[in-house]
Amino acid sequence: MKIYDMDKKCYVDIAHIKNPTTKVEQLSEALYCYENEIFDIIYDKAQPALKAHVESFSEDFLKQVEMQFLYFTSGTTGTPTGVYKTKLNSKKQAQAFIDTLPKDMKFNRIVTTVPFVHIYGVDIGGVVAKEMDIDVWVKENFIPEELAREANVDGTLVVTTPLFIKALNRIKKDTKFSGAYFITSTAPLSLEDAKEFKESYGSSVMQLFASTENGIMAYKVDDETILKAYDCVEIGESDNMLNISSPFVAQKILNDTIEKVELPFQTEDIVEILSEHEFKLLGRSSSLAKVAGKRISTLQIEAIVEGLECVECALVKVRKDAKALRDEILDIYIESSRDIKQKELKEILKKVFGSMHIVFKLHNGMIITKSSVGKKIGFKEKN
Amino acid sequence: MITTTDLKVKLIDGLGLEDIEVDEIGDDMALFGDDGLGLDSVDAIEITLIVEKEFGVKIKDAGEESGVFSTPNTLVTYINENK
Repeated sequence: MKIYDMDKKCYVDIAHIKNPTTKVEQLSEALYCYENEIFDIIYDKAQPALKAHVESFSEDFLKQVEMQFLYFTSGTTGTPTGVYKTKLNSKKQAQAFIDTLPKDMKFNRIVTTVPFVHIYGVDIGGVVAKEMDIDVWVKENFIPEELAREANVDGTLVVTTPLFIKALNRIKKDTKFSGAYFITSTAPLSLEDAKEFKESYGSSVMQLFASTENGIMAYKVDDETILKAYDCVEIGESDNMLNISSPFVAQKILNDTIEKVELPFQTEDIVEILSEHEFKLLGRSSSLAKVAGKRISTLQIEAIVEGLECVECALVKVRKDAKALRDEILDIYIESSRDIKQKELKEILKKVFGSMHIVFKLHNGMIITKSSVGKKIGFKEKN
Repeated sequence: MITTTDLKVKLIDGLGLEDIEVDEIGDDMALFGDDGLGLDSVDAIEITLIVEKEFGVKIKDAGEESGVFSTPNTLVTYINENK
């Protein structure tokens, strides 16, 4: 297994690199530590606040016996969380991931667009390649045309993000990537985008459901709506929130102090469990709004509104009102062929959320503006 | 010929830079990094799509060496040379 530097057009050795800055250096250092069982702290050093936070601890304090990686994530509350993983966490996880790849495809390299400052890049882009003994091709800055060229090569496993799937959909190349297979991270990829990609390029996208704390939990392919948990991952729920027991869950977590993780690990992902190994994701913590003391997903509300036949697009924004008794008010901006009435939507939401009182203000007659990769970026009045 | 003003208008619209006026973006202002417009790698991807959609020019590689994405001027030069 080797690293190919696509910018310099050469293979580079896996080596110990102090203060790695480029993607190639980051991967090289992480894999060197993995190979030699050297403890490594991984985080995005380009974020000043995160860097200051990590540097506020002494290395002796952070270093824990038998741990391989300490990842720092931004955390849902705004305070970074440190997540400890053993080498066995990563190794078992890589094998579970490899077992779900299509058996009729033979991969000879990974091409990755992601940086190696998060668990996704290191574990899926790096450790998986190591365990499969295939090369990793790394480029500092990919643009869609470049990725399209690489995906045209048979035997390529593309480790990327939904952003690139959407971007490739927009450039619509007259080619097929049928010899390649795409993996995306947890960020949501719409069913429409996944379907369009499959139809346009003849290649599948496996979407991972994972977090730093839990590692990989489940996956789905193309426009599937149901997530399949990995064989050794046990799923459960508490107050509609997913909890997980698996060999990929972190051993220890650092918030104010370093604490051992107890299983099952409680997530803030809202799910509907369908069977022992299947569930539907209804929302994630990053899009959670606290309404009437409960957490609901703004994405879920957008999906409900967009389920109305006359609605083209909906955008939900959370307005905090410190003076109000209720925590948050939802502003719902709607692009539709007719006005939606407050009462009408209230009835629909009631069917989904029961008696929960959701305070919202409707803004009809809007156009939801989107970026060229389809991300909702704002709204404006229709006329 | 595309002008830097044409490009800036499309960038402001496409990247959702609604709080920025065309005049505030210098022709030689760095598009990326804290010292310039502060765009990031995701914006770079957006820019390739905007340039293709609005000006019919495909940016085929990130061109780190040629610095296509450096400033409005370098980007407009690339667009006009490849149109």
